[in-house]
Amino acid sequence: MSAQKTKQGKKTKEGKKAKKEKDDGLIRFKINGQPVQAREGWTILETARQNGVKIPTLCFHPAVEAIGSCRLCVVEIQQNGHTRVAASCITPVQGGVDVLTDSEEVQNVRRWVLEMLLAHCPASHQIRELAKEYGVTSTRFKTEHPEDACPRCGLCVRACDEIVGIRAISLGNRGVFKEVTAPYHQRSADCIRCGTCLYICPTGAMEQLFPQVSAP
Amino acid sequence: MKPENRIGIFLCECGGKISNRIDLPQVSELLRYEPWEHLGVYPYPCLAPGLEAIKQDVQAKGLNRILVGGCSSRVMKKRFTKALAPLGLERHQVEMINLKDHVAAVHEATPQELAHKAAALIAGGMASLRLLEPFEPVSLTFEGPALILGGGFSGFIAARELARHGMESVLFSKAQSPERVLDELHWTFPGCRIFCGDLADLLREVFTHPRVKVMPDQPIDYIVGGVGDYHVGLKQPDGSVTEVAGAAIITALDREYGPGNIDYIGGGERVCDLLELEEKLGAGDISPGKMVFWVNSPQHGQAAQELAAMAAWRDSLVLAREHPQVQPMVVYPANITLPLSGNDLREARTQGIGLMSYAPEVHPVVQSGFLSFVSPGDNLEHEVEWDTLVVPGAPADPVEKAQELLRWLPIYPENGGRLQKSHIKFWPDQIPDESLFFTGSAGGVCDLNEVIQQGKKAARGVLNLREKALQGKLVSPVVVHVDKDLCEGCGLCTEICPCGGIEHVKPGSGPIARETDNHLCSGGGTCAATCPYEAIKVLNNSTQQLEARLKAILSRMKENEILGFVCGWGGLASAEQAAVKGLTYPKGIYLTPVNCLGSLDPFILSMAFLNGAKGIMLAGCTPKHSCHYHYGVDHCWYRVNAMKKLLSLAGLERRRIAIGYVEVNEPESFVRMVEANMDVLDKLPPLPQDDQTKARLWAIHATLHRPRVRWVLGTSLRRPTEKEFPGSQFNAVDADETMLEVLREEFLAARIIKAISDQPLNPPGIALTMGEPVKSITPLLPDMAQEGRIKLQGWEGGYPIYGLGKK
Repeated sequence: MSAQKTKQGKKTKEGKKAKKEKDDGLIRFKINGQPVQAREGWTILETARQNGVKIPTLCFHPAVEAIGSCRLCVVEIQQNGHTRVAASCITPVQGGVDVLTDSEEVQNVRRWVLEMLLAHCPASHQIRELAKEYGVTSTRFKTEHPEDACPRCGLCVRACDEIVGIRAISLGNRGVFKEVTAPYHQRSADCIRCGTCLYICPTGAMEQLFPQVSAP
Repeated sequence: MKPENRIGIFLCECGGKISNRIDLPQVSELLRYEPWEHLGVYPYPCLAPGLEAIKQDVQAKGLNRILVGGCSSRVMKKRFTKALAPLGLERHQVEMINLKDHVAAVHEATPQELAHKAAALIAGGMASLRLLEPFEPVSLTFEGPALILGGGFSGFIAARELARHGMESVLFSKAQSPERVLDELHWTFPGCRIFCGDLADLLREVFTHPRVKVMPDQPIDYIVGGVGDYHVGLKQPDGSVTEVAGAAIITALDREYGPGNIDYIGGGERVCDLLELEEKLGAGDISPGKMVFWVNSPQHGQAAQELAAMAAWRDSLVLAREHPQVQPMVVYPANITLPLSGNDLREARTQGIGLMSYAPEVHPVVQSGFLSFVSPGDNLEHEVEWDTLVVPGAPADPVEKAQELLRWLPIYPENGGRLQKSHIKFWPDQIPDESLFFTGSAGGVCDLNEVIQQGKKAARGVLNLREKALQGKLVSPVVVHVDKDLCEGCGLCTEICPCGGIEHVKPGSGPIARETDNHLCSGGGTCAATCPYEAIKVLNNSTQQLEARLKAILSRMKENEILGFVCGWGGLASAEQAAVKGLTYPKGIYLTPVNCLGSLDPFILSMAFLNGAKGIMLAGCTPKHSCHYHYGVDHCWYRVNAMKKLLSLAGLERRRIAIGYVEVNEPESFVRMVEANMDVLDKLPPLPQDDQTKARLWAIHATLHRPRVRWVLGTSLRRPTEKEFPGSQFNAVDADETMLEVLREEFLAARIIKAISDQPLNPPGIALTMGEPVKSITPLLPDMAQEGRIKLQGWEGGYPIYGLGKK
């Protein structure tokens, strides 16, 4: 991880306080061996990004609450000799741990996730690009719907609810049948056609889905 | 809000997505001389660490205006406003410039070149932020009864709900007793006789409840006021007008049913429609034998057919229970969903009511005593015997009362006579509270049950407003402000306004300054762009702010670059979608998002040309149904059209300004639109910078400030009550020529003023300065002098000398 830049000099104020170990409200831990500071309530992903460490994400968007559904942002957390793999977008920071964002374990999990995504939504250009970036070009899983581009991450549904406040789209069905649809499979008249779901969709799937969920 | 400007600029790197494409340090450098208090580059301002840093800077430096140069305001602004709200920063104090989607992701240029564009857009945002105005939200009172107008059945339900929750209401109804209401019910809801028992209880409760005042229906003279304080004038038989005041208005309008289509069947007494049957049922005069209900008339639509089938079923039940000598049967088309439950079907079997579907492709044939139809099950023709044949009534127009109310309320007829509330679709937090209550079957063919639900919902809405008012939370955001000193009371804004945000005044009260009802206002801003006297201002989204923003952007633009306006819905969504999709377009277009293109004052366009814009492109929603502000984009078309006329009067190319339409989810169309427009404009030279052209552009700008021009422009705009645009242009050429005539005259007058602005001149001197023949201006001069626009300053050599000042 030598290529990753570290942002310094941003937090002059905090730097001043850093000498006092106690009572400055800062949580100290390491990401890829680099010591970082965070505050209560930040997640590992946020802290990593603040420090210039790259973690891939799909279902994460700063405008809506993270739910950790795509598992692409997994990191390895080492603490007292124990190690666990967790989704960094929903894992709050913890003092004294070692976070590895590109360990063998993480790479392994990420490749599995990407292979599953490739099988699940092969039509998405963005997914294919992302997979290629992490060295995944083929999948060992069966592709049932080659035209499908939607990873069912629910980002559009959360955006319609949390940002717009309309709830014109929802996730229908469960498990392997899960799909993004308007309530009752009826094109939603509540939709205001603001395009937030289109903008936020990480795979471009909403473009095909939009005419099916929004009533003109 | 502190009046003093303390602007903080927060530039986002977006993990390289912005910082790799735009040279952010250079942006900071380019903005060095702008009046900011804080400027910083952050890896991710939107994440918790970034927000924390912003908060620290806001507190440390006392910032009161925040500009985030990052990504889409539609998606991210809520995150920032939510985080900054505890520090006392309001929504409008946070401005976002979309560097990612309007600059970084869509242009192929060097980071240095893009830094220039980014700096221009940010400087524009700062100029706009500097003109924010402090305001105090107005707390509304909510006293008095709810006024229930229109006489629809949902009104009774609403009155009962309100009464049960301790709120008074005044209900206007033609029928003055429960019996009368039920007697007339079948005119609006045929087939509801079966519910008469329950409905009678409901109506008795309404008529006898001390909190409900049932008043006879009277013609409405006016409805004025706003949420919390409405006044309704009622015409009395003697010609006088009495006024009733109330806190809220519930409009309950139903659709009447007309006689069914039975003339072609003939058959005299034996064939009747549902309405006649209802009357016979009321009188108890039912002839025995087989009675066939034939649900026909596909021309009224499936909803009407379903309703007719429902009514036929309910009447069959009444007949089966009360008149056992009749054997009812319902014959309905197979393409509708029979709205019956399993219990209903069981009931039909026990009561011996027949239900038969027919294939709608083959029209059933009536014979004497028989009805033959094709069954969809076996494709075979079947016959049923009848002694009485009943066909449904035809859904007719909304009750007459509607016409009286439509004049005053933002409810408009759609195609097919269906009434709809102003069909504005927004984010819920853009409109304070639901405060316009419209219920009843006039809004669409529907069953009594549904209307009852609508009535209850309206009552809940009113109670919600009252609850908020009791807690002191019924606060009207100030959206639109009318300057009382400038307003001449012409009423153009009221006519243009689609949302009811500009209040009506009583008839005959003369030209008085308008008030606004910000609870209904949608912030579309076409009123402000229309006002002939420029008296209307959309607070903190004003034309002055836009003017300042554009001036700042234009001053940093190169000579071959153009301005682009995108509306906040179709245009902005597809422009940003283009970035998400990875499409690119030329970087010479500087996009400025506006709420709606309809909010663009015409003088904004002329101001842009005056300040050196080479061309302007506007992208809005497709007219007709997809404009979120009713006809905002149409209104913009008229203004662009006027601008085109003025450009050609000034001898410039009309194609320097172009309007285009694009829907959400059409990023490719947007990119094509930009590319095509840039191609057209690339062939044109930059605007000439000689004095003559500048004087003409100044004259165009002055012309568009003239109340007379704005008035003519305003009257030509489509009203929200008007329906179709393309087919029904009335005297298009003549109207256009009238417009052109006014523009030509005012443009010439403006040029004369410009010619004598430096020094008084005689007519040949003026003509020489303008480069026009003397005879073209001489008829105008005495008139202008009489109006006081120019002053006769004396005579010299037999010629009058005109100037601007006194002498």
